[in-house]
Amino acid sequence: MLKIDQLISGYGSVQILNGANMKVEKQSIVALLGGNGTGKSTILRAASGLIRSWKGTIEFNGEQIQNLPAHEIVGRGLVQVTQGKDVFPAMSVTENLKLGGFILKSKQQLSDNLEKVYNYFPRLNERKDQLAATLSGGELQMLCIGRGLMSNPKMIMLDEPSAALAPQIVLDIFKNINRIRQDGLTVLVVEQNVRMALLLADYGYVIKDGVINVEGDSKKLMYDESVKESYLGGTKANV
Amino acid sequence: MFNKFRIGKKGENIIFGTFVLLYIGWCVNSPDMNIESLKSVLTIGLSVGIIYGLVALGISLIYTGLDVVNFSHGEFFMIGAFAGLTMFNLLGNQDWIFNLFPDAYGWIIYVVCLFTAFVSMGLFGVFIERVFLRPLTKKGGGYTVAGMGIIICGFGLSVVLINVAYLIWNPVAKPFPAELGLPMEIGGLFLPITYIWMIVVGLSVAAGLWFFLNKTKMGLGIRAVAYSKDVSNLVGINVPLYISIIFGIACAIAGIGGTLVGPTYQVVVFMGYIILMKAFAAAVVGGFGNLPGAIVGGFTVGIFETASSFYISGSHKDLYAFLLMIVVLMIKPTGFFGVQVKMKA
Repeated sequence: MLKIDQLISGYGSVQILNGANMKVEKQSIVALLGGNGTGKSTILRAASGLIRSWKGTIEFNGEQIQNLPAHEIVGRGLVQVTQGKDVFPAMSVTENLKLGGFILKSKQQLSDNLEKVYNYFPRLNERKDQLAATLSGGELQMLCIGRGLMSNPKMIMLDEPSAALAPQIVLDIFKNINRIRQDGLTVLVVEQNVRMALLLADYGYVIKDGVINVEGDSKKLMYDESVKESYLGGTKANV
Repeated sequence: MFNKFRIGKKGENIIFGTFVLLYIGWCVNSPDMNIESLKSVLTIGLSVGIIYGLVALGISLIYTGLDVVNFSHGEFFMIGAFAGLTMFNLLGNQDWIFNLFPDAYGWIIYVVCLFTAFVSMGLFGVFIERVFLRPLTKKGGGYTVAGMGIIICGFGLSVVLINVAYLIWNPVAKPFPAELGLPMEIGGLFLPITYIWMIVVGLSVAAGLWFFLNKTKMGLGIRAVAYSKDVSNLVGINVPLYISIIFGIACAIAGIGGTLVGPTYQVVVFMGYIILMKAFAAAVVGGFGNLPGAIVGGFTVGIFETASSFYISGSHKDLYAFLLMIVVLMIKPTGFFGVQVKMKA
């Protein structure tokens, strides 16, 4: 579904990605793992058009999408959910979600999708008239994911859905991500929480210094020594 | 953008209240103080204030969208006044309009002028943004190196626009003889109808803008872009298009302001500069980047200025707006409807 080939990109004149290769199959959950500053988020930002790709190709559904304007990429069904807390605090939960469905033409579709999101996250339904600024961390993350689902995407890319959340809530959110996949979406998860991410995913990539270091089946990766090394820069730890 | 009203902490309120009381005391002591003069001060102050408010609204709108202050906004106000005047001169000697509407002739022409100013300045604003500011906004608005470029570009644009207007309309002050009927009597006071008209149209424009921003889909998009360009991109909003729209709306409102002022004063090439400065003061007093605050700030500056020039000294009329701005900045730097520092995504 998404195919990234020899992608080189970065911010300003600083090159972060040094030729990353990735492939995400349809209706799968793929985890992209790596430490801080290795280029995980950069891959997502390049794929969703927030930064320019310097070299290499990004293919989505068989079409090249690198360097398209970000709103067109959303229109094609590839949606990025940014790292939590990135909601519009002065708007209500419903308004935030409606904003997610900004590209939808029909009102019927919008309310259908709203219903669908409330079905995934009943917590949001309870708080639909509250200002987004008053939500807790977990609810904010749910709101972010819900907002991403509003535009009928074919694939969503989640940037650290578990960041700064209690384990119970992380579990809850990951269960919902699995449900989203079962409903026919493709999911790419960028994570620092290696064990949780590999439990959820079918396939995993480990990125280091802007290139994909290790890849493989998530069951296999879980016991791979080089993952630990790549992830923690050589120090071994219990993951 | 839409914070709740709160003046400030207790200490701030006490200091500010003391200033206000001192000022009122000064005015009451003046020999000109009576109920008649107070009425006219209020009406003139409100009508001047709404003009400051409208321009401040545009400045605040552009500030929320692009994170920069547009220093050429006064020139859009001036060119808007000329656009209205040009339309007025075109229609003024058309007999068929007079034959069609003998009663409301002046009003209809004036409304057409307002509409012309609104639409033409909107398009002109979009054109300016697309051609001159786009290369800079593309590199990121305020908070980046390009943001400083946009500010400097605004100054330059201001000089260029004044000189272009100078070439087209020459520097002679021109009357705008809109025929809106006899002065109106309000509470024993005869007022030129243009004063009332300014307040009514200005408030309707502000209310229309509020409705547009809060109740329409496009308004939702504009608020989203104002908060965070990245997140707006990710929900599929065409951010560059929306920035053009924001710029266009801000300029269109300034154009309406220019045409509203025309019949009361005159239309001159150099009218934009002082309006820009006072609107800037109004925006600061109301809270920079806050839209209801811009209108409230405009009224405050307008009334303060008129009252001061009436009761204290008329020869320092242009000084008072900035005096008020300095006092407000000293006591409450965020203005009346203070907006906290914008969080960037």
